[in-house]
Amino acid sequence: MRIEASFHDSARPSRWTLLLLFVLTVAPIRAQERFRRSPPFPNPLPKLALPAIRSTVLSNGLGLSVVQKENHPLVNLNLIIMAGESASPDELPGVATFTARMLDKGLLDISANRIHETIESYGGSFSAEVHQDYTIFSLSFLENYLDDALDLLSRMVREPLFNRREIDNVQRVLFYDIEYKMRDPEFIAKHVLYKILFKDHPYKKMAIDNDAFKNFNRRHLTTFYNTYYKPNNAHLILVGKLNLAAATRKISRHFSTWSRGEVKRAIMPPPKDLESTRICFVNQPKAKDTAILIGFTVPSINSADAFPLIVLNQVLGGTPNSRLFMNLRESKGYAYYAFSSVDLFKNCGLFTLRSRVRPEVSYAAIRESLREIERIVNLPIPNHELEQAKSYLIGNFPLTIHSMSSFINRISTIRAYNLSEAFWNQYYENIMLINSGTVFQTARRTLGKNAVVMIVGDIYTISDQLRDFQVEVYDPHGDLQYIINKGAVE
Amino acid sequence: MKRLPAIVVVLCFLTSPVFSVQEAPSLTFPVSGFTLKNGLHVILAQDNSLPLVTVAIAYRVGSINESRGKTGLAHMLENLMFQGSRHIAPMQHVSFIHKIGGTMNAATTEDKTLFYQTIPSHQLVLALWLEADRMMSLRLESSSIIRVKQSLLDEIRNRKERDPFLACSLYFDRMLFPDESYHHPVFGKESDIRMVTIEDARRFYSQYYGPNNAVLCISGSFDDDEIIPQIKKYFETIPPIKQIPPPSISVHENPPGGREEIYEDYMIPLPGFYLGYRIASPLHEDFYPLVLIEYILLHGMSSRLQSRLIRRERSAFRLSGGIDIKKDLAAFRIFVQNNNEATKELARRSIQSELNNMRNFPIPDREFDKIKSMFIADFIKQYYTSEDKALRLINTYLLKNKIEDPSQELAKYLAVTPATIVGIMNRYFGRDQFSLDLKRK
Repeated sequence: MRIEASFHDSARPSRWTLLLLFVLTVAPIRAQERFRRSPPFPNPLPKLALPAIRSTVLSNGLGLSVVQKENHPLVNLNLIIMAGESASPDELPGVATFTARMLDKGLLDISANRIHETIESYGGSFSAEVHQDYTIFSLSFLENYLDDALDLLSRMVREPLFNRREIDNVQRVLFYDIEYKMRDPEFIAKHVLYKILFKDHPYKKMAIDNDAFKNFNRRHLTTFYNTYYKPNNAHLILVGKLNLAAATRKISRHFSTWSRGEVKRAIMPPPKDLESTRICFVNQPKAKDTAILIGFTVPSINSADAFPLIVLNQVLGGTPNSRLFMNLRESKGYAYYAFSSVDLFKNCGLFTLRSRVRPEVSYAAIRESLREIERIVNLPIPNHELEQAKSYLIGNFPLTIHSMSSFINRISTIRAYNLSEAFWNQYYENIMLINSGTVFQTARRTLGKNAVVMIVGDIYTISDQLRDFQVEVYDPHGDLQYIINKGAVE
Repeated sequence: MKRLPAIVVVLCFLTSPVFSVQEAPSLTFPVSGFTLKNGLHVILAQDNSLPLVTVAIAYRVGSINESRGKTGLAHMLENLMFQGSRHIAPMQHVSFIHKIGGTMNAATTEDKTLFYQTIPSHQLVLALWLEADRMMSLRLESSSIIRVKQSLLDEIRNRKERDPFLACSLYFDRMLFPDESYHHPVFGKESDIRMVTIEDARRFYSQYYGPNNAVLCISGSFDDDEIIPQIKKYFETIPPIKQIPPPSISVHENPPGGREEIYEDYMIPLPGFYLGYRIASPLHEDFYPLVLIEYILLHGMSSRLQSRLIRRERSAFRLSGGIDIKKDLAAFRIFVQNNNEATKELARRSIQSELNNMRNFPIPDREFDKIKSMFIADFIKQYYTSEDKALRLINTYLLKNKIEDPSQELAKYLAVTPATIVGIMNRYFGRDQFSLDLKRK
């Protein structure tokens, strides 16, 4: 509209003058702006040139990895302890989480408040995160406080106090934290799914109930600490201006007094396959919508299936352009959203399909999700669809390490699982190598199995839709309440 | 013919002798700025550390440009910008960006409407094509207006249901900013949104969405030789807007005097209160110490109010707030939620005692050093990713009409002394206090 607006109608021009004017003015503009009609071609994909991860092992067994970043006046440190929630004793799930939370809660001569204040005075921040297989402590600060910060971190790791008053505080915080999360139907679905899918497997301990913490005492925490918090069971990652040699000197100075010790590692068999697909329910009276979570156990991050699974997930439900969203939301209008995700760990992985749907179409949404799985297990993915998924993953990869924390967390995962360059500088090539055949093989092997279908919603709206199935009804903590047999209507 | 780029500045953080204890970190990054023939201002900030680029574009239009009875129009236009333009189908902008692995977002404030996407760098031109097309030829049809209206009304209803404090927060906003242009929330009044016509949207678009009312920032990895010709190709032939209308309602220069009110609502789950002060404009030199005051009071677990109210006394279970900027006006607000009326009174007294203390005694050196370290670290983080950098550069440019050297900006904060803080505390946190007491009906 606006381009033509520059054409002024002067005093009564003849038809020919108009045509001439058109040819001289409008037509050339149109012609030269033909490029606006269709999307431009991209440039060739640049080669990935991420900074190298250089590693060494200190004399006490502490692993050290350094990534040099110029123009980066902050130092980012991640300390990985190679023990996560799966290492908690079976009768005490949550000990790993609780122990990790105690590290910044005081030393013999420094109170918890003082630790926080000191970290803040370094322009710093500190956090702890407990995963299935490992625990990460993250500390970032201004580079001119490097020695002070290393000294503090080293003391926090070597001599945490586990003081009674702080234990009570952490107990209270964790209790409310989990209670708050339990308001979210998706959290409940994942919580119960873990308990069913990983029934006899250590990963089950990731589902921590809020009453888990009430019986913990100092001894439980110190036992866990003394068993796993050893330099030969830890790895430090440093991102900043320092190179490996300089970093090794600094880290040795502050961490060499941390003495090594024997760490026993339990052998973890992979999770058992389910005998049948199970429909499991958690009742949330008057819920406005239904949360659906379908879960499969899949091979570990170190298996050859890792990259095919990443591509498979992308095709099935990685983004709004993927199959699940296009089917359940765009085509059928059942769901507010429908995605899938794949989380790969040391011993195995978890593949989930998650959606939030209108209660009256809960069953229809489950049926469509299972059909999508059936389709991907039985029919190879067409090439154009596969290529689209791969180009998304390649384009998106730098965004997954864009922020300060996601950058160092990716390096931490690589070190924690001992991953190759395939997850760093060779990522593009490894995605490109995946073809329809490999994905098809992986899909058959991993998703052609029985699954747990978790439904969180109002049972009175939904049970009728499920009368053709046996439905196990659980409470939000994962305790079986009762079973609705096939054909029975509530 | 003007030769481009007109200005190229290299900005860097310098170690300056102003700081005795706190040394500003040395960090350099290139930034250049120039204006196209049609008035579009362009900011370029190159950083090749990752193969990513952020393309951000801001239009100088927001809720203060809306006239009476037309509230929510600016926010609606933000949404309509995704409903297709001459060569792009409705929502295709979003799917183009998603398909290549990028992320995108948009936002409307009182004085600007912002669109940005972070994408793999080899796809940079795609974003230029998409942004240029909707700047030049947005398709405004009744069907898209109906669709957007419905989704905006749903969104407002959801927000009201989800956030029991939304209504009182907006009420407090009106106490602090009584000027009529701030009397409505950015998302608009529901009754006005229902009445918006396609002509309103078309008029608004043609009045404000032009190159001479916009700033484009490209930050991240790009080819130096390629970028300027590409920007010119896609943007320079877009005709400028002839006359950009100023906001229809003028803003009072002088801040209003303080007020105390009680707000009763059945939605309010627990007792609480707002406390606020009108403070200097972000363009005023007092703004630098005011930002540090925000840190002293509220940032981090060891800040004065957090440590006293949350950790020591447990008189509050939620405490938030800070500086709230609306174009060139600003206020300092504190929001406290308590368990009961008794702890509410305690929290109120404790805040007053902390403010009093800061009005009368200079902040100890050690605490002030901590504040400055925290500030420097946060300041650096604002320039960390290409997206952070683009948004920061655009916001600063819109506010100050120039690219500000971050090292000089940082120096102004670090030059603040404990004595300045005392003076500023007395100037802005003395009389003229606004408070809103929240009670459940």
